[in-house]
Amino acid sequence: MAATTRPRRHVLIVDDDRALRHVLASLLADAGHVVEQAGDGHEALRRLETGGLDVVLLDIGLPGVSGLDVLTRARASASPPIVIMMTSDDTPETLLSAVRRQAWRFLRKPFAPSAIVEVIDDAVAASAAMSIEVVSARPEWVEIVAPCTLEISDRIQSFVMQLDADLPVQVREAVAQAFRELLNNAIEWGGRLDPARKVRISCLRAKRLLLYRIADPGDGFDIDKLRHCAIANPVDAPLQHAIVREEQGLRPGGLGLMMTQSLVDELIYNEARNEVVFIKYLD
Amino acid sequence: MRIAERQVGDVTVLELEGRLILEEGEFPLRDCVDRLVGEGRVKIVVDLRKVTRLDSAGVGMLVSKYLTARRKGGTVKFLHLTARADELMHVTKLAGVFEIFDSEEEALRSFTPGAAQA
Repeated sequence: MAATTRPRRHVLIVDDDRALRHVLASLLADAGHVVEQAGDGHEALRRLETGGLDVVLLDIGLPGVSGLDVLTRARASASPPIVIMMTSDDTPETLLSAVRRQAWRFLRKPFAPSAIVEVIDDAVAASAAMSIEVVSARPEWVEIVAPCTLEISDRIQSFVMQLDADLPVQVREAVAQAFRELLNNAIEWGGRLDPARKVRISCLRAKRLLLYRIADPGDGFDIDKLRHCAIANPVDAPLQHAIVREEQGLRPGGLGLMMTQSLVDELIYNEARNEVVFIKYLD
Repeated sequence: MRIAERQVGDVTVLELEGRLILEEGEFPLRDCVDRLVGEGRVKIVVDLRKVTRLDSAGVGMLVSKYLTARRKGGTVKFLHLTARADELMHVTKLAGVFEIFDSEEEALRSFTPGAAQA
C-alpha cells in the first residue's frame, strides 16, 4: 500500500474535559506525535511560555482564562504554534472572533475523535499559518482578505462553512463545493499561488439567500478562450477539454466551472471576470 | 491519499482512501496509474468507496488517467461511487463516458470480451 509518511509534531491539548483530552492524546500519540495536556487556561499559558509547540488543540470554554484569550497569547508568541479551536459554542460571533485572532481551524463539538488525526495532518502540512485579515465580522456580512495560497483556501472554506452550519446538509455541501472551486480558481489562476497577492472574500447571509463574492488580484479571463475548460466542450466531446489541457501543458482539471454552475442558483462574473458572485436561494 | 493495489487476473484494482483534491491525492493516483500503464497493466478498476473528499482537480485526474490507459489499449473503470462522486460525474457529463459499477464482480466481468456492460 502506497502511503505518505506522517511527520511527527509536538501537540498541546487544552480542554477541561479530561476524558476527551485522554482520547485525543491517545489517538495522536498512536499517530506518532508528542502530546502534552493542559486542563485550563492558566496551565496552557504556562506551557506556552516554554515554547517548542507546533500545534495547540484549544477548547474555547475553559475555566479561568478563556480559550480565546489563550489563542491571542499563543499567536502573539515568538514562535506561534498553529491553534485549532474546539467548542460546542457554534455562534457566528465566537467563530469570527476566533478567526480574527488567527485560529487555524475550528472544530465543533461533538466531533469524531478519530477525525483529529486528519486535522493534525493538515496542520502539519501547512506552512507557518498565514494571517487572514477579517475586514467585517458581522454574521450577516463576513469579509476576509487573505493571501493567495491553497492552504488558506482550506482554512477559509472550513470557517465559512461553519457559519452556515445551521442550514440543511444538502445546501451546505453544495455551497461548500462551489465555494471551494471558485476560491481555488481565484487563488490559482488569479493570484498565481503568490502569497504576496491577496484574494477578497465576502459572505452575505440574507433571509432567503446566501451570497458569496470572491475577488482575485488577476486580470480576469476571456470567456472565448476557455477550450481548456469543460464548459466549452462540444456536446458530443465531453473530454475535449482534457486533451486541450494536455496539449497546453496544464494540470488535469478544467471541470470547476461546470461543477459550480450545477451547484448554485446564480453565478455572475464582472466584466473582467476577476470577480465572481454566486447565490444560493434558501427555500 | 492511500492507494491499495490488488491484482485480479489481468485487472488491477486500486482502492483509494482519503482525499482526492487539488494538491492532495491527485499526484499519488497519477504516479500509480502511470506506473501500471508503463508496466503494461492497462486494465484498471478504481474503487472510490473510501474517498472522503473529491473536487474538480480530483475528477480531472481521473479523466487524465482514463485517457492515459485508453491510449495504451486499456481503460479505467470506476467502482463504488459515493453519492457526491456520482453527482459530480453526472453534472460534468462524465457519467456517460465512464463505466461505473456498484459491484467489483461486475466491474471485473466487464473486462471479459463479449460481457454485458453493467
